[in-house]
Amino acid sequence: MEYPIGSEKMKQKRSAILLMVCFFASLSSFGQKAEHFYNVDKEIRIEGKIQKIAMEPRYNDNSPFLIITLEEKDTKKIYSIEMSPAGFFERDFFQGESLAVTGSLTSSGETETNIIAREVQCRGETFILRDKHGFPSWRGGKGLNSRKGKRKGNRF
Amino acid sequence: MKKKDLFLFFFVPLLGFIVIFFFLSTINRTYIKNKVEELVREQLRATAEILQVNISHYLEEGFPSDEILRLYSGEENIYYMALLDDQKNILGWHSRFEGYLPLSQKDIEDKESWTIDSPAGRIFNIFTPFLVSNSKTYYIYLGYSLESLEEMTLYSRRNANILFGIITLTGIIFFLGIYQLQKHFRQKEKEAEAERVEKERYREVSAFTSGVAHEIKNPLNSLALLFELLAKKTPEEFKQEVSAGSREVQKISRIIDQFSATLKPLNLKKEKIPFKDLIADVRETVRKKNVDIRYEEEDEVVFFADKELLSQALVNLLQNALEATEKGHIEVRAKRLRKKALLSVEDTGWGMPPDELEHVFDPFFSGKKGGMGIGLYLTKRIIEAHEGKIGCESLVGKGTTFFIQMPGG
Repeated sequence: MEYPIGSEKMKQKRSAILLMVCFFASLSSFGQKAEHFYNVDKEIRIEGKIQKIAMEPRYNDNSPFLIITLEEKDTKKIYSIEMSPAGFFERDFFQGESLAVTGSLTSSGETETNIIAREVQCRGETFILRDKHGFPSWRGGKGLNSRKGKRKGNRF
Repeated sequence: MKKKDLFLFFFVPLLGFIVIFFFLSTINRTYIKNKVEELVREQLRATAEILQVNISHYLEEGFPSDEILRLYSGEENIYYMALLDDQKNILGWHSRFEGYLPLSQKDIEDKESWTIDSPAGRIFNIFTPFLVSNSKTYYIYLGYSLESLEEMTLYSRRNANILFGIITLTGIIFFLGIYQLQKHFRQKEKEAEAERVEKERYREVSAFTSGVAHEIKNPLNSLALLFELLAKKTPEEFKQEVSAGSREVQKISRIIDQFSATLKPLNLKKEKIPFKDLIADVRETVRKKNVDIRYEEEDEVVFFADKELLSQALVNLLQNALEATEKGHIEVRAKRLRKKALLSVEDTGWGMPPDELEHVFDPFFSGKKGGMGIGLYLTKRIIEAHEGKIGCESLVGKGTTFFIQMPGG
């Protein structure tokens, strides 16, 4: 049903949507799917091309996460890669770019598989997003408040 | 100082001291750290047990896992927490860090607790089963921050380092002191040995020379008497030659007397002497026309010295000054400087060239025609016997100044 813009019905619908978004957001902020964590036992490495770049809210943080949809080079399987809070990256990614990701498999949908990225290689640069246990690099640590865009390896 | 000595007396003790301290400090710190870690583990196990009781209570009441875990999400020291079923499937979890739940099957297979390092510090992990009243088994996985323990360890390490620094510094100063003392002692020992050898040599030479002088003096006296007799009976035309011979014999006798005086050991009979009085006496014995001897005293200077010997030393200096000065004056100055008396005898004579100045106190060296070279040598011996020092400055055509530094004053 269509309501005229600015009408009471329209406002009520908008409020209901807002409430629902808040409810689901609160669920997503704490009650993540049980398997959505960096599982060190499910670490894999894939290579492929970037299909889509998006920002989505994750965990408790309000800052949106950079989510990359990647098509695996050999199997053509689609993966949703959870990178890091968008602000952590000082580098842009582009559609069609090749990407190698080491990360943990979290859950599988019918069309795509989710991966939490630990290390990303792109154009000769390596980005460390988490340590080997999955500790997020953007959380810094003792004496390391922010390790923005920590890189290693050769740069082209 | 030999390198070996430096090594033995400074580096080895210092190194030993530092190694022992470091070793003891490390053992002590490791022991305390292990004990504290043990205590913390015990405490964390107790915390896990309390949580198990509480969680089983909530589970029995039918609370969902996420809701139960939410209750503990505010705990500052709990970094992450998970609830697992009897098949070890995760029912719910929460973490202070996004997606961080370092639970691995490898870890939980064979151990109940372990520690991992993270950028946020060391984390104590515990994975334990517990039973709920419906006999269902659950597992709790807990990651507890060891931040306080790390802070304490850090604090302890920092204090140990500060203490280590202080002790090392003290050790360096202490052993440097010992080393310097030893160096000084060795130097003094060498000097004493050299002095002993020199004294021994001097004694031997003195004994030999005194013997020779004595042996010469007796026939020389006879020869002098013979010359006297000969002078009475000699015809007028030979009298001059005989008189010259007599003078030469007397000269030899005088030289031998001066030799004997030089070689005689100095036995000091010390007494209190106001320098003003001493210089007044000396001024009476040495005089010269057209040369004025002036005395200037800043403070009253009193010596504890052998009056006769000190007079002799002053006479020698003034005699030399008078001989070097045709016309003008001689300045004698005295002043006190702390526990020392400083004297100077300055003339306005012809002075000495540098090569002569170098040997001015050497025995039998004289810049004067017909000089014996005994006077200044004897003066130096007298001053040094009183534990004093003597030095000299001179400019040709301007004059000479002798400086004396004596203890007392």
